[in-house]
Amino acid sequence: MKICVLVKQVPNEDAVIKISPNGSGIIEDNLTFCTNEPDTYALEEALQMKETYPDSEVVVCTLGKNSASQILKEALAKGADRAIFINDNTNYNDPLSAAKVIANVLSKESFDLILSGLQSDDDGHGQTGLLIAELLNMTHASLVVGTEILDKKIRVKKELESGWFQWAEMELPASISIQSGLNKPRYASLKGIMGAKRKPMDNLERSQIEITDVDNVKLENVYLPQKSKETHYIEGDTDEIVAGIIKVLKDDIKAI
Amino acid sequence: MDNEQREILEVDFLFVGAGPASLAGALHLKSLTKEKYPDLSIAIIEKASEVGAHSLSGAVVDPISLNELFPNLSNEDFPFEHEVKKEYMYYLTKKSKLSVPFIPKPMSHHGCYIASIGKLTRWLEQKCEEAEIDIFAGFPGSDILYNENTVIGIRTGDQGIDKNGEKKPNFEPGVDIHAKVTFFGEGSRGSLTKQLINKFNLMDGKNPQNWAIGVKELWQLPEEKLPQGYVAHTLGEPLGHSLFGGGFMYSMKNNILDLGIVVGLDYKNPHIDPHHELQLLKSHPWIKNILEGAEILAYGSKTLPEGGIYSLPKLYVDGAMLIGDSAGFLNGQRLKGIHLAMKSGMLAAEAAKIALDVNDYSEIQLMNYDTIFKESWAYKELYKVRNFHQGFEKGLIYGMANAGIGLFTGGRGFGIYNKLSSDDGHIHMEKPSTSFDKYDGIEYDGKYILDKLTDVYYSATSHDEDQVAHLHVNDPSICIDKCKEEYGNPCQSFCPANVYEIVDDGEERLQINFSNCVHCKTCDIMDPYQIIDWTTPQGGDGPSWKNM
Repeated sequence: MKICVLVKQVPNEDAVIKISPNGSGIIEDNLTFCTNEPDTYALEEALQMKETYPDSEVVVCTLGKNSASQILKEALAKGADRAIFINDNTNYNDPLSAAKVIANVLSKESFDLILSGLQSDDDGHGQTGLLIAELLNMTHASLVVGTEILDKKIRVKKELESGWFQWAEMELPASISIQSGLNKPRYASLKGIMGAKRKPMDNLERSQIEITDVDNVKLENVYLPQKSKETHYIEGDTDEIVAGIIKVLKDDIKAI
Repeated sequence: MDNEQREILEVDFLFVGAGPASLAGALHLKSLTKEKYPDLSIAIIEKASEVGAHSLSGAVVDPISLNELFPNLSNEDFPFEHEVKKEYMYYLTKKSKLSVPFIPKPMSHHGCYIASIGKLTRWLEQKCEEAEIDIFAGFPGSDILYNENTVIGIRTGDQGIDKNGEKKPNFEPGVDIHAKVTFFGEGSRGSLTKQLINKFNLMDGKNPQNWAIGVKELWQLPEEKLPQGYVAHTLGEPLGHSLFGGGFMYSMKNNILDLGIVVGLDYKNPHIDPHHELQLLKSHPWIKNILEGAEILAYGSKTLPEGGIYSLPKLYVDGAMLIGDSAGFLNGQRLKGIHLAMKSGMLAAEAAKIALDVNDYSEIQLMNYDTIFKESWAYKELYKVRNFHQGFEKGLIYGMANAGIGLFTGGRGFGIYNKLSSDDGHIHMEKPSTSFDKYDGIEYDGKYILDKLTDVYYSATSHDEDQVAHLHVNDPSICIDKCKEEYGNPCQSFCPANVYEIVDDGEERLQINFSNCVHCKTCDIMDPYQIIDWTTPQGGDGPSWKNM
């Protein structure tokens, strides 16, 4: 099996995000970056598949600026076999553009399976893995909490609502986005880090990728969510409070 | 005992902690050995998730060690903010400030550079990578490995242990790293260094180390309110004359203001709270005015060894050497340690090269470190200020007088004594006879004057909650039975990150909010009963500082 895991570099989840004064984006100078947490579950799932099917190959791929190669090194240290680095400074505002660039690169190889995290902690589109499936003519599933490889097929357990799950059988090749928490991502070992230095990493510049019809979405403004919550105290004796609550439910939020 | 099957990684030389001392030491060792020993393996381990994420300093850097390490580069090539152009020393009263008209040359920052130690260590990391030095970030040193009384390396911390001490499914045992020589460059009050000093009595015959705590914030100013290369230090308010320390303010690139306070960890009153002192400093009208319209970017804290040359431990044992803040290479009078930390790493590297040539890594060879140090400019610099800190045990006026006389007498204490003694900082603490209201008037506004938890948020600190607390209180019954009465639980005040909290859920007890910990080590130093042991948490946990 040839498995590709898509990973993304995002600001550290404890980082304090500041917006640039002109609203063009976030200020990155004071941020530290890490692997998008949902992607670490996708990588772990791939590495466990490789443990079951040892002649599999796990390839990690990211699209990002220079520093993003760091998260590929981490993935190699954890056990991925090789990496594809698409070095691209563009901040794509829509997931389709990013998917087109990545799909173009991945189309040069024939992967049986593409795994990605459910969504990225920064943009949170949750679409890239599925768009790539469409672009590469693969089957796809999202919110996957369990996988089972069959001959030329894969069974996936999908999360539905209210605690319901669905098992589905899909043809390979497939692109699957993984729900966080389905496994415990491993740590990189010292030996793994040493070994990672000898593992191959393809470096691709954006200019080497022949895709033109991208980045058509313009970003107008970035701003922090406006605080709109308000707390009202309803005071008085019990009857007055009850009357007050009923009034709010009826007139303000029209729940009754 | 430990029944874990552990991998062993053999390297030639191992540095513990990727601060300026280790990074410079490793680079120097590489350049000393690369022709004769091209296959030599040098490794550095670091507990932070990436190099620089636990590095915090003022900082105004003397470039002397960088110039030695990179003879082909000039000061413009280093990752500095600005050259110091304007320097001021102010004495603050409650409402105004008095300018100290003349800054004596040895205390001047002329020719030095405002810098972020986080940027500097990340830059040095790049140089190490180019020199094929292995850096392992996210790996704390949790134990020292010995063969009888020879240090043979360290064990890295286990990953994936839950809060009950049980293995999680992703458990990854720590690795034993064996080395010919292990360099301890863990920074101030290193947890392994502390063990090493105790085991081998390395402080015998020395003055005890005296520490201070530095608490700082980075602020984004709305426009250029301070000139480039602006450096100001303050005395007086809010610390007054009985507390050692003072404020500092440096202008960095992109109108970022580096603002902080240093407080000596030898104060008497157990209610003293270094974080609150910084808030008081910011409440001064002059600083308030500078901060108008500014936005907080980051918060952090670290201790610093102020004791000087007489508080340096014996620097070597069989198979190991102490470098940087772990040993105490800091010039308290110049308020600088980075150049000395780097130099100490480089001097230790020279001793290691000699040991390598004769293939003997025992004390007999490593004592060359001490010999070479005594012939270096670093020794001369520290010797001149050998009695600086001791003078302040009697307060600011004594201290300044002593420092002043010291300037004219080549460092003599009060002009007469060649060596002044000192004692441990924590023993000065005593139960206050009057009530304490110094901090009652602080007006927390959530914008400029920040409470501790808000500040901790800006330190971007996190620890996996499902692990054993890395702060060990050896006898928690003392907290309620004894400390509450005797000192009023000073841990709640001296910790700048709200880690220690006395809670009452039917019964009073100490709650340790270890996930707030910014790794400053103040608790380990200042606890009056000396029962707190700071140990390393899971690798990668802690603050994620960028430009501190």
